[in-house]
Amino acid sequence: MSKQLFHTVLALILSAIIVLIGNWIGYEVVPTEALMGMLVIILIAGAGFALKMIIPWKTIPGILYVAGISIIVSLPITPGSEQVIEWASAIDIQAFTTPLLAYAAIGIGNSLADFTKLSWKSIVIGSMVFLGTFLGSAIIAEIVLRIQGIV
Amino acid sequence: MLKQIPGYLKDWRLHAAALLIVLLAESIGTISFELGAGMILILPMIYAFILGIAMVFTPVIKEKQFKHSEIMTTALIGLLVAKVSLNIGPAISMIVQVGPAILLQEIGNLGTVLLGLPLAILLGVKREAIGMTFSIAREGSLAIISDKFGFNSPETRGVFSIYLFGSIFGAVFFGLMASLLASFTPLNPLALAMASGVGSASMMAASSSSLSAVYPEMAAEIQSLASASMILSVATGFFVSIFIALPLAEKMYHLLTKRKSDKEAEEKREVGS
Repeated sequence: MSKQLFHTVLALILSAIIVLIGNWIGYEVVPTEALMGMLVIILIAGAGFALKMIIPWKTIPGILYVAGISIIVSLPITPGSEQVIEWASAIDIQAFTTPLLAYAAIGIGNSLADFTKLSWKSIVIGSMVFLGTFLGSAIIAEIVLRIQGIV
Repeated sequence: MLKQIPGYLKDWRLHAAALLIVLLAESIGTISFELGAGMILILPMIYAFILGIAMVFTPVIKEKQFKHSEIMTTALIGLLVAKVSLNIGPAISMIVQVGPAILLQEIGNLGTVLLGLPLAILLGVKREAIGMTFSIAREGSLAIISDKFGFNSPETRGVFSIYLFGSIFGAVFFGLMASLLASFTPLNPLALAMASGVGSASMMAASSSSLSAVYPEMAAEIQSLASASMILSVATGFFVSIFIALPLAEKMYHLLTKRKSDKEAEEKREVGS
């Protein structure tokens, strides 16, 4: 397991380097300025994936552990949370999504053969399914927020 | 030491290709243009996706790279979730305040059935429609459906087709949809942020980063709400799918197909008489 964790951490570090470079080119933040924030983010993600490996209940997705640790770290009562949040704010969210979609697109190569089997009906229905969940949630949220007088 | 490093990390072809894509995409930057009353933003992640697909067809990327790529996406999703969830702590009192909206908008995830199922039936899809529309078809849904209906059932074929569609187009679709809805509908960015929180981290990330680009001054709030809502969706999704969404999809399927077959029977009778 320790070897698996070691590999995970290495993958996190490599992705982090690419994120920092993208953050530099796209959002003009020199990597040294974003380094502390990125270190904290790597630690949180690494700890979350480690928990996933340790805890025997395998149906819980790893990202829930990552999110849980991240929330605890960022709570106002946690010592140093303000500093951590400030560090992390040096990295734009898009600096993560751009390489994510680059790798995801390359990974699609795997299912490209299956893709040709995907009928136009599936594409139309899939679009409607995604629109359905998004619009359904947004409309309910909007109504509740208006009733509460928040927006 | 070097031997201990797994192959996917030493896959310099893959990482060089990804880095090149990121550099290209980020140096182009966001392109925005006005269209009618709203503004359309094309973000670097969209070019990154297109360039990535294009790369698959070049000799640089081979089958080995496809697999290695998937491991890297898992790592990136880990970093991304850590990053966006750091916005939750400072926003916790705001999140409690909008708590009712966050909780209730989860019901909106049934919109997959309400919007998708009638369309599927209209297009003549049979029982596949149940699997296609009861959820956004991520890994958990595959397990639920194949467990209940069996691996070779039409329902399982249905959920697999949307799973595939989502794996390929999900993030891009959510990214574009979020910015279009933000520009062209009166929906509040906070409501859209909550809606971004579906049971997939990459779809959430794509749509919340689109929204953050449209409303940069609200970026922290948007990301905290999207992340909180995603956590809720992931945590409850499994149970909601089994106990609410799937029964609803089945019931609606039977109702809609019954009416359809009744109608057909009636038409036949009319023709016959």
